[in-house]
Amino acid sequence: MTVKTSKKLGEKKAKETFRKRDFYGWLIMVPSLVLFAFFVWEPLIENIRLSFFSTKMYEVVEFTGLKNYSAVIHDIDFMAAFKNTFAYTLWSLLIGFFVPMIIGVLISETIHFKGFFRMAVYFPNIMPSLATIWIWSYFFLPGPTGVLNILTGKLGMEPFEWLNNPHWTIPLIIITLTWKSAGSTALIYMANISSISPDLYEAATIDGAGIWQRVRHITLPSIFGIGKTMLILQIISVFQIMYEPMIFKNGGPNNASISLMMLMYRYGYRDYNVGKAAALSVLVCMILVVLSGIYMKATAQKEEA
Amino acid sequence: MFFQKYNDKKDGVIRGYDIRSPKVKVLAVVIMLICFAMVCICLFPAIWVFLASFKDIKEFTRNVTIFPESFEWSRMAETWNAFKFTKFYRNSLISIVGSTICAVIFNGLLAYGLGVLKPKGYKIALGLVMWSLMIPGVTSIVALFRNINLIGLNKSFIPLWFSFGANAFWVVLFKQFFEEIPRELLEAAKLDGCGVLKIFTSIMLPLSKPIIMVVAIFAVTAAWSDFLLPYLVLNGTDKVTVMVKLFSFKDTPTDAVSVLRASFFAIIPPTIIFAIFQKQITDGAASGAVKG
Repeated sequence: MTVKTSKKLGEKKAKETFRKRDFYGWLIMVPSLVLFAFFVWEPLIENIRLSFFSTKMYEVVEFTGLKNYSAVIHDIDFMAAFKNTFAYTLWSLLIGFFVPMIIGVLISETIHFKGFFRMAVYFPNIMPSLATIWIWSYFFLPGPTGVLNILTGKLGMEPFEWLNNPHWTIPLIIITLTWKSAGSTALIYMANISSISPDLYEAATIDGAGIWQRVRHITLPSIFGIGKTMLILQIISVFQIMYEPMIFKNGGPNNASISLMMLMYRYGYRDYNVGKAAALSVLVCMILVVLSGIYMKATAQKEEA
Repeated sequence: MFFQKYNDKKDGVIRGYDIRSPKVKVLAVVIMLICFAMVCICLFPAIWVFLASFKDIKEFTRNVTIFPESFEWSRMAETWNAFKFTKFYRNSLISIVGSTICAVIFNGLLAYGLGVLKPKGYKIALGLVMWSLMIPGVTSIVALFRNINLIGLNKSFIPLWFSFGANAFWVVLFKQFFEEIPRELLEAAKLDGCGVLKIFTSIMLPLSKPIIMVVAIFAVTAAWSDFLLPYLVLNGTDKVTVMVKLFSFKDTPTDAVSVLRASFFAIIPPTIIFAIFQKQITDGAASGAVKG
């Protein structure tokens, strides 16, 4: 409404300076758009182009069609990585999705030290991921001097193998990821919980709803919408997992934790096979575009509601 | 006294009127204890790395304890000097300052164009930016690094600085903020004959201080933690940053204690920043715009 009225007032002036304003508008945006083009958009397109060529170091040699793709798909490591991606996603749904929700609900129920709790659960987020990966790698040391084995030893348990057990590698990596990122998601849930109208709770109490019933029928449904968004964002980020398996066990034991992005890094910087790396990242990008499409749809629905 | 405070509780399920029942009292205490347990889990790794940094390698590989035998700062200093960490810190600082300036200026200007000026055809640019929000940069790192090589900017801070000027998340953050600034204010200034530039410097900039602050803080911590592109661009030069050094440990066998001390050195600056700007950081994160 306000825009409309002000438009009427300045109509004459606006018409005169229309072109000039457009010009200035684009002038201000151009430097940033150039950066976006160089760092984001062009590499994306360049990637697609490179995926169809054979390369020598960083030089393009010749057009080879889909050869890079077939080389990637027939790679044993790729099959392992592809399979692992589903394991990563599954475990991150089991662990990574519910933990932040629980943290958010619990902290919302405190009144003492609330600020401190908020700060503390967010703290892992602020730590450089590389440093935390190194720290966790010493937590998971299999011998009796591994930090977690020291702790479980105090409870009288035998030392565990942790990451060396291929069945445990992926779930443990997901736990470290959740430890790192749960706090920021929990803060988002908390912001949503605190915007629930107190009248709802009061009405439910008068109707005789207990604490748990109120959590189930008021709190959880009200964060479900944002939860869907968080879920998709989480899957997108799990698809890109790379450094954790790389540093913990270099994708092992026996390819048990190798991920798609880690494989891309290997193709690109260990084998210097840029074409093959590009082909793999195009495949990953295609999956991500589909996921992003679902995400956009989910958030659009949320805004309508 | 303890339970009285629940009368002031403004969110969540448990309300002041619930707390009269003894069952709810127990529940409230249990929840608080669980929260303290969560705090321990969240903070323990950072505390442990501090403690473990005081162990020497023998103690680290043999002793089954959390606490070190003694707190000798000289051991820390030894590793610091052996790796020449002063230089890494200085390089990180150079990289951070440039990256933060770029992050604020370029993302801010783009958001100003997309959110306020809206020149003809801006929707195309907006759509492209929104899509790049979804496609993570790391997938095209191979092609990007190739381009950096082709234009000869390898082994320099310049590509790292400018890479922070193209962050779709921060553009959206700026844009949301700009859009909340009352239109009337801008229209009035326009009628008074202020040009685009004048409106920007005398109205938008002073009003935007809080958002500039938030983006700057996030850019500082992101630039400090960033390592893949810095590693590819800077490794092997004398411009190695703290994170690049940490990343290169994966290829060069280094004793555990040195890695731990290096990790500890890497945690200190973000911890200090977090201690100072806690409120801005947690509020920014809670708004959801700075995911990841």
